[in-house]
Formats: sequence, C-alpha cells, structure tokens
Amino acid sequence: MSDRFAMTTGTSLVGGAERRASRSLPALFLPVLGVGAVLAPVPLWLGDSRVLMGVALLGLAFACYTIGFNVIFGSTGQLFLCVGALAGVGGYSSAILADRFGMPVMVSILLGAVGASLVGGLLSWIAVRRSLGVIFTGIVTLIFSLTFQNLLLGRGDLTGGESGFLISSRADLFLGELKPAYYVMLALVLIFLLIHAILRRSHLGWGFRALRDNEVAAELAGVDVARYRVYAALIGAAMLGLAGATYAFSRGRISPTTFGFAQVDVVVVVMLAFGGIGTLLGPILGAVVFTIIDEILIDFGQLRLVAHGALIIILFLWIQRGLIPTLGSFFRSARFHPRRKRWRR
Amino acid sequence: MTAYVLDGIVLGLQFGLLAAGLTLVYGLGGALNLAYGQMAVISAMVVTFAIDAGIPALPAVGIGLVTGAALGLFFDLTILRPVYRRQGEARVLLSLLLTLGVAFIVDGYLSWRYPFRGLTLHIGGGPVNILGVPMRRGSLVASAITIVAFASLFLFFRRTALGRAVRSVIEDEEGARLVGVDPHLMLRLILVLSGGLAALVAVTRAMVTPVTVTGGFEITVFALIVTVVGGLGSFSGALLAGILLGIINSIAASYIGTFLSLIILLVAAALTIVIRPSGLLGVRE
Repeated sequence: MSDRFAMTTGTSLVGGAERRASRSLPALFLPVLGVGAVLAPVPLWLGDSRVLMGVALLGLAFACYTIGFNVIFGSTGQLFLCVGALAGVGGYSSAILADRFGMPVMVSILLGAVGASLVGGLLSWIAVRRSLGVIFTGIVTLIFSLTFQNLLLGRGDLTGGESGFLISSRADLFLGELKPAYYVMLALVLIFLLIHAILRRSHLGWGFRALRDNEVAAELAGVDVARYRVYAALIGAAMLGLAGATYAFSRGRISPTTFGFAQVDVVVVVMLAFGGIGTLLGPILGAVVFTIIDEILIDFGQLRLVAHGALIIILFLWIQRGLIPTLGSFFRSARFHPRRKRWRR
Repeated sequence: MTAYVLDGIVLGLQFGLLAAGLTLVYGLGGALNLAYGQMAVISAMVVTFAIDAGIPALPAVGIGLVTGAALGLFFDLTILRPVYRRQGEARVLLSLLLTLGVAFIVDGYLSWRYPFRGLTLHIGGGPVNILGVPMRRGSLVASAITIVAFASLFLFFRRTALGRAVRSVIEDEEGARLVGVDPHLMLRLILVLSGGLAALVAVTRAMVTPVTVTGGFEITVFALIVTVVGGLGSFSGALLAGILLGIINSIAASYIGTFLSLIILLVAAALTIVIRPSGLLGVRE
C-alpha cells in the first residue's frame, strides 16, 4: 500500500532548517541568559494582578512542556501526542505521593519526574522496538493520553475525579506564592533550555540530527537509532514530568483538564510549530507569543478555539518552518547580501 | 452472554461505520482527516435545523447526507489541495495538522453559536426480541442501516467499474494512471463518499445517543482507533475491528465495570497496533 511512499525518508515538516549547533561556550549560555533577562522582570511589570500572574505562570509551564516536546519530537521525530498525559503523570503522582502518603514535597516532585520519564521511555521503547512510524507513534501515544484521562476519572478516590485534586501539602510551601512560583518555573525553563543547548552540541545531539535527517544513513554510520530515540524520550519526558509536578504544586489544584489533550497537547504543537520545530529558542518564542495572543482573546470564550484552528492552518500553510528559522534566514540573507537583496527587489 | 455479544455487535457496527470513511481517504490519498467527526457534527446540525424548519425527518436526513457529501467535496477542493502536493509521511502529517485546525474552527464556532444543540432521532415502538434478547428499536434500525451501507459499499468496490477503478488507485497509483484512471478524480469521489459516510454516522448515532455540538472530537478519536486497529486503508478491516472492539467493550463493561471497559478497549487497540502495526487486515508495510 505504501510502496509509493517509500521513496522519501524522514519528514520534511520536521527540522531541516536548523543550522549546525555552535560549539563555543558563550554561544551556549547567551541565549539562555537572554531569555532569562527578558522574562525575569515580567512580575514587576504585571504587578500584583493575581490573574495575570497566573497566566504568566501557565505560559512558563507551557514553555517547559514545549521544550520537552521539542526534545522528543523536534530532535528525533517521535510524535508524542501525550505531552499533557506525561506532565499529568508527574503532576498527579507527585501530588498523590505528597498528599496521600505524606512524602516531602521535593522528593515527591522528583519521583513524579522520574515516573514520567520512565513512562515516556517505555512508550518510546515500544515504538522503536516495533519500528512504528510517525503516525503510529502518534496514535499509540494518543491512546495512552486517553487511557490516562480515563484512569484519572475512574480512580476518583485517589485523584478527585472530574472536579480535581486540592493539594493540601503545599500549604507552607514557598511555591504557594505566585511570585516565587514564577521564578521557580522560570528557573526550570532556563535549566531545560541549557540542557537542550548542551544536548545539541553533545554527541547525543549529533546522533539526533543524523537520525532525524536520514535514519538509514545514521544507522549505517554507526548511530544506534533505537537507543538515541529512547534517550530523547527519557530526557524529554523527565522535563514534562518535572514541569507538570512543579506546576501542580504552584497552582495547588489540578484536574484532568489541567493535563488534557485538547488543553495541553494541541497548544504545545501549535507553540512549537510557531516558534520552529527543532530550534533552541522556538519553544520559548512560541509559548510567549501564543500565551499573549490567548490572553488578548480571553473575552471571546469558545471563539478562541476558532482562532487556534485558524492559527494552526496559517502556520502550516505559510510559515511551515516556524518563526525562528524564517527570521534567521531573513537576517542572514540581509546581513550577507544587503545590496543584492535591495537591487533584486 | 448472547446479550453482551449482540450489544457488542450493535456498537461494533457503529464503530465500523465510523472508521470506514476515514480509512477510505487514508487508503486512497494517504491523508488522515481529523475533522471527520466535525463533518458528522455539521451534518447532524443541518438535520436538526431542517427538522426545526418543519421538514419531515426522512427528507431532513437526506439533506444531512447531501451536506456531508458536499463537505467532503469542499475539503477536497480547499484544505487538501496543498496536502496532495506532498509525499509520504509529510503528507500524512500536514493533512493531520490542517484538518485538526479545521476541526478546531468548527468546534469553536459551533459551541459558541449553538452551545446546547444536539441531534436525537427517536425511533418509535418498544424493544424487539432477537434471540431472546430485548433490543432497542433505535439501535436495530441503526445497525440495519449500517449493514446495508456496508453491503452496498462492498458491492460498489467489487462489482462496479468505478469501484474497481478506485481500488486500482489504492493498489498502485502509477499503474492506474497508465490504464487511464485519473487518481485525482477518484480521490474527489472518495472524499464525497467519506463525507456522506460521516453524515450517515451522525444519523445512525443519533438514533442511539444524542450527537452533541462538541461530540466531534470523540467521533474522530474512535474512528481513528478503529481505523488503525483494522489496518489503515483496509475497508473490511474497519468492519472487523469495529465489531471486535465493540464486543470487547460490551463484555468488559458488563463484567468489569464501565470505567475500566473503556481502558480495556484502548489497551486492546494499543496492543493490536504494537503487535501488528499494519492492523488486522492491513497490508504489511
């Protein structure tokens, strides 16, 4: 059936636009510091508005999710449609461990991240072992998302069911205040960014790029494709779980929709596509811009969904590579051929 | 036990019909239509408006089916145009993302404009006894329609020249072109058919449970799961997978409880994909 598709390997929607990662140390830290410098003063600017700070906190959580998804999908082309579920594994298991079993909050957050990481690694291992393509990986992980949602609803005794889970063990936690929570989340974003930057210039990053561009060639060149994919999933899912757990404790209340498919996965895909799949700063740009757009449209209620849909279509029809690569190539061509460009126009 | 199996078959036929429209488009065009459920919901809404306008139920359903077919044609002419320009996995990914966008637009608009609307078609009369099991008349009518639809689809694909032409494109696009079959025309035809099937799904579903404005996503997800379990592009696989999953679901629901039954259904689907990535009746890739 798909013999006629066998000619093309890899997906042109993913990557291809990414330049070689820089090897110098300042180039590693500069983008991270830049993002920190831009996002750190936000609480001063938003002031004491609890609503807006909540929005900013959610935006940062989404930035974390998008980086995690980028490590999995952008680096190795595994379409994980269970971003929300993996974050939920982190969020719910840490909340349950802390609340129902009396574990220290920090320990439970770490355990939540480890749990999410293992689940993500397992999913990736299954997909790799059975050599499932992009679509099948997507559908298996989508099924995992639905299963997780049903488990949350079904085990209402542990999870609080549909109405959600009020985390009481965070009462005397500094995460309970919005401003400290914002900075903890920001720290997570920066750490994830740094990890991703280091990953890109490590031997893992070389393997990722090789297997994403051409799987067969990478395998022939000695890249253990299966192992690298599972590594990417382990790292990415750990990020998702950690972010989910931290967000859960900073909000104090989680419900199935906090980690729902439509509420998280779809948004994360749009953010990543907007910023640029596989780029370092794309997830941040996408998360910030999308959060601001969404906040502007807040009064429109359900019509926001229409805006999301239109945004998805526009994104994938016109600026397929995402904003960062498009801007990057624009600036590069402007810098290197200023005159020619002007004359040609 | 018979009751559960019969219940399962009724549900399974519904599942099979859900998947049929999706699997046809994938098999022929290599595109996944995630707005499939929304096509069904739009058709259902048109039927409710027609009924509200005083049109009797049967012509109203007819209008709904035509709407579905028209939606299929509209999709082929607009959103799937850029999709067909790509090949392989990029095509599937782009189709998936673009139709997801359409699904959101439809979902958002409908739930904003008509928040509490839904389509329910009441089939009068009491339960009917089949093999000593009382069955609801609505689900029997729905099953009968589904069986007729499947039978006529089978006849269409096996017996008519047009159906054979469509299958030749699924088999080998280049070869079909060489013997004078226009793949694009066949694709358009299949999308119209798929739209009509989506509308039929909405109508038969409405005889059993209300089809609500926000129900599109659920329809799509179940259609997708059944499609994948049956084998992408395999039409008889869709029917087989639908009935199997339906029976699994109703037996699990009665012995274990409703919340776990859905999980068992999902796990069964996931296991099938993992064990046989090409699906039950799919062609080995």
